[in-house]
Amino acid sequence: MLRIYVWGYLAFLAFPILIITLFAFHASPALTFPFEGVSLRWFADLWADPNFVSAFKNSVIVATVASILTSILGTMVALALIRLSPKPRAALSFISFAPIALPGLFIGASLLVLFDRLGIYRSLVTVILAHTLFCLPFFVEAVRSRVAYFDLDLELAARDLGATRWQAFRLVTLPLLLPTIIGGAILSFALSFDEIIITVFVVGEQSTLPFYILSLLRRTVTPLINAASVLAIIFTLLVLMLAGTVLWWQARREKSARIGEGVVG
Amino acid sequence: MEKLKAAFADRRERSGFLLAAPAFLFLVALFIVPSFLLFIASFWQFDNATIVPTFTLSNYLEALSRRAVLYSTLTALKIGFWSGLISTVLSFPVAWYIAFKTRSNVLLYLVLLSWFSSYLVRIFAWRTILGTQGIINSALMSAGLIDKPLEFLIFSPLAVIVTLVHIFVPFTLLLLLSALRNVTPDHLDACRDLGGTRFDILRKVVFPIAYKGIIGSFLFTFILSAGDFITPQLLGGRSGMTVGFMISNEFRVSGNWPAGAAMAILLLIVFLAASALTTRLFRLLRLAPGVRYHPLQNPASASRR
Repeated sequence: MLRIYVWGYLAFLAFPILIITLFAFHASPALTFPFEGVSLRWFADLWADPNFVSAFKNSVIVATVASILTSILGTMVALALIRLSPKPRAALSFISFAPIALPGLFIGASLLVLFDRLGIYRSLVTVILAHTLFCLPFFVEAVRSRVAYFDLDLELAARDLGATRWQAFRLVTLPLLLPTIIGGAILSFALSFDEIIITVFVVGEQSTLPFYILSLLRRTVTPLINAASVLAIIFTLLVLMLAGTVLWWQARREKSARIGEGVVG
Repeated sequence: MEKLKAAFADRRERSGFLLAAPAFLFLVALFIVPSFLLFIASFWQFDNATIVPTFTLSNYLEALSRRAVLYSTLTALKIGFWSGLISTVLSFPVAWYIAFKTRSNVLLYLVLLSWFSSYLVRIFAWRTILGTQGIINSALMSAGLIDKPLEFLIFSPLAVIVTLVHIFVPFTLLLLLSALRNVTPDHLDACRDLGGTRFDILRKVVFPIAYKGIIGSFLFTFILSAGDFITPQLLGGRSGMTVGFMISNEFRVSGNWPAGAAMAILLLIVFLAASALTTRLFRLLRLAPGVRYHPLQNPASASRR
């Protein structure tokens, strides 16, 4: 009984996305059944639209830079959390979580006022800053439970053996935490690539992909939106799969390295 | 030795502060300061399409006296309430299933996968499904069940709620699942052994342990749905207009930030009140641990029994 319900739940989640994907390949502009044959014309139309191409490029740039910034700041926060005593730790985890407890509306509006008062023009830079703010809480939440298991004495041991602080970080801490950090970075990339609610407040003349899709959505109902959506989904999945492969490859390499050392020793 | 340990702890603490500094400054500059700025802007004046930084309460008085603001706030709260309730209730059995009935994580991954399909894509998908020439209407019409399209499916609060539920269901599942992980099968067995019914298990064991996740998942969805302005804009129609949409219009279209800021601050106060009320309600219904569960710490309630 529960099992049937779970299948129903999955179907509810998947159905709309399957519909979108199906109609992206529809030969006619109608978004209803009966299905009148398969074609790639909407993808070709999209590719011919310079607005789409530049929006896609901008989104990749924004998501890449935002996820790198988020990973640097977020990793430092996670490493700080395990060092601090309870009171400052509570304060830090509160302030680094607070931005997602509020609807994007508040964040977007307050950033709009800030940038205007400071005389900063809205551009991809403001979008990147806003996305970093938006992704940081997710990154910290995703990473902190793993970092909590990290044994600080390992760093101490490295220092004891004569490593500088930076060496201890680069040779001990970073390799141990890297899979977790990469996971958080990919999450941030996906979140940034999809973000629209804060983006509408801080975007300048250069559009992002969701902003481009939103402008299409406001104008008409066209299968172009389906095609753009499908491309966005496929791209996100590719990034996720790439991350999975990198992690898998790294785990395998580490394993074989360890076995190799064992033979030598 | 003790001295050495203390010195290490001290250094550890200091390096903690150093590590936290960049993110802390970033959050102060882009979250704390702007939030205050928004609060201050709500007292500014909007005069002849220019913003005058003075101090006036007129934005608040204006917002409180406008009917449209009141109605759109109520619509937002209604949409938020139903989205929060439905997504939490829908996800609860699935979280239960993942926590207690299966060992594989495949189900969780499948749900997470759907999380990565964009927000706008889902809005568009539901527009395709619910529209007047959409899939449901055209299917019903070709089956001869209706003569003309069911208008209420699209451009209504209903369409907004369905879409928001679809968007937030993966979030609620994650929050509920991590809450249910605190309930061990031993807890359930103990309740059963003591003769508890299924309802008892839910009310006296699961809710008091997992209440934070349950309230959290409802409130999270409630606040984000009620504050959403893009779904109502695209699917809400006239009757589904929310205060979030009005606020975003003040900022992005009319340029009257002080009015938008005042409305935003008022909405924030409403959200805080709603959160406090929900937690309170759980206590009253005795679904969250209150004094009743800790009679020793509270002698007054113990003696009353």
